[in-house]
Amino acid sequence: MAKTRGYKQRNILMMAMLAPYLFLLVVFGILPLFMALLEVPKISIANPDGGWDAFKIVLQDFRFPAALKNVLGFMAYFVPMMIIVVIGMALMLDVKTTKWSKYLRLAYIVPASISGAVAVLVWWAIFEPTISPIRSVLNFFGVTSARQIWQTENLIYLIAIMTFFSMAGNWILIQYGSLQSISSEIIEAARVDGCSAFQLAFRIKLPLIRKYIIYMAVLVFAGGLQIFVEPQLLNTGVYSGIASSWSFDQLSYELAFKSGDFGGASALSIILLVPSLIGALVVIFKTDMFDDKTIRSKKDSDKADL
Amino acid sequence: MSTTIKSSKKLKTATRHESRAGMFFVNSWLIFFAVISIIPMAWLLLASSKTDPELSSRNPLAFGSFKGYINAWNNLTFFDNGVIGRWVINSILYNAAIVVFATITASLAGFVISASRIRFKKTFLISTLIMMLIPPVALVIPLFVLMDKVSLIDNPLSVILISSLYPFGAFLSYIYYSTTIPPELYESARLDGCSDWQLYTRIAFPLSGALLGLLAFFAFIGNWANYFMPYVMLYSGENYTLPLGLGFLFSSTPAINPGVGATSVPIYKPEIALAGALIAFPIMVMFLISQKRLIRGMLAGSIKE
Repeated sequence: MAKTRGYKQRNILMMAMLAPYLFLLVVFGILPLFMALLEVPKISIANPDGGWDAFKIVLQDFRFPAALKNVLGFMAYFVPMMIIVVIGMALMLDVKTTKWSKYLRLAYIVPASISGAVAVLVWWAIFEPTISPIRSVLNFFGVTSARQIWQTENLIYLIAIMTFFSMAGNWILIQYGSLQSISSEIIEAARVDGCSAFQLAFRIKLPLIRKYIIYMAVLVFAGGLQIFVEPQLLNTGVYSGIASSWSFDQLSYELAFKSGDFGGASALSIILLVPSLIGALVVIFKTDMFDDKTIRSKKDSDKADL
Repeated sequence: MSTTIKSSKKLKTATRHESRAGMFFVNSWLIFFAVISIIPMAWLLLASSKTDPELSSRNPLAFGSFKGYINAWNNLTFFDNGVIGRWVINSILYNAAIVVFATITASLAGFVISASRIRFKKTFLISTLIMMLIPPVALVIPLFVLMDKVSLIDNPLSVILISSLYPFGAFLSYIYYSTTIPPELYESARLDGCSDWQLYTRIAFPLSGALLGLLAFFAFIGNWANYFMPYVMLYSGENYTLPLGLGFLFSSTPAINPGVGATSVPIYKPEIALAGALIAFPIMVMFLISQKRLIRGMLAGSIKE
């Protein structure tokens, strides 16, 4: 008897300690989804009959195909560029560790602090021939006016470059860390067998860090889908009209705050959430990223205690 | 860590046989990438040391003078009766609150999942993982709908509360406590009459130094430059954070926006660059001093140290 009471009391205290986080998780993680779902079928100017047609209406919005084309076009450059360059850089860093490697890694992380609004400012300056730190490169390519660069049709490349630089550094360091975790015995054995550095990278190292690459790909893909700040600020703050409802999130923002169509905006948010959710589930259940032996052995010992 | 040192030593001897041309290419590319990584930040930090005409007449990476920074700041304070000061203070206050709330709630949650036998542990862990892998901006519109219902729009509390949800931190704490504190320790402490609260304050918390540093680091870098969510939640200029303020400066001064006509406030490129540097510089410092934390945190649970 005494034992069960103690056990129950314990759980109450434990729940109390968990409560603040649980509250935040439910209220700001789960509840908004239900709120959005309730918002979708409401009657509005865009959806005069109400109901779940809101999903269809937003997909048929005249701005939707353009946003789809922009975001997919941007991702077609951004995602492969991220994966190839990041993995390539991490592999190169891993070939040989010298006393300089530490400083190189420090340099790679620097652009990660330039994101969002600051990234717009910095890249505006880089592509402005009068003040650009790469003036000579711009001149070499015959660029004499920023307007030659900042054109709506160039945005998929420009935004891919901007987001690439603010995200690559982090991931180079992370993937370098994942390569460092490969046991030296494996590398040695491969070398003894006559593996060249190139074969070592492609046949041994890459397969061994596969799950980290999937993890990165999912996060990069999900992040790219939700691109907002860069096109939005370019459009409202720098070159007016260059990127009007350019991305999905901008369209969703415009639906909500320009047209007051919260049903449509919520519907679009929910649609966009689906690919992210699938990616998350793939990482959780199809890789052992978050299911390593340490956690498992911990769980087992928990069970043994019971 | 010891394996890292060992493997790099072994690699050093092994790579002597690699072709020289190959190594030359690799090293050149590594150095080239380092240079292009630094240029944008160097420009940003140096820009506000110069005057507006100097920005185009002098070398883009030349240093002006320390007085340049002071001038730029003074000019910024002419904008909207010194609202820039408010933005700096807001950014510091909101982020301090977020870092503290997020770190405490996440650390407690991680401790509870690792040390207790509460029900629905698995469900709870999986929902945390899902939240952690979904980009936070995905929920901005639904969160606006929610905040509107509870009348917290244009209230900094909305930004602070939303950003304090820290699933990544909760997961990190769970891994940390699971791997550093053996369950036997809790059991024997319980036998000695420790309550669950004391298990946290006397055992887990004193061992949490490295974890709390990690949590605070990720909470800070994740929120300091945040734009979309605060942009939707806050609309009064005096509630803005620095990133929102910077966006506002873009659209309301002619410094980088050719569409805006001349204004009476002396906001030009150096002033805008200073506002940008105020956002980027603290993050850069955090990254440079916490490089190891970044790797350790992002790969937590899957790499044994």
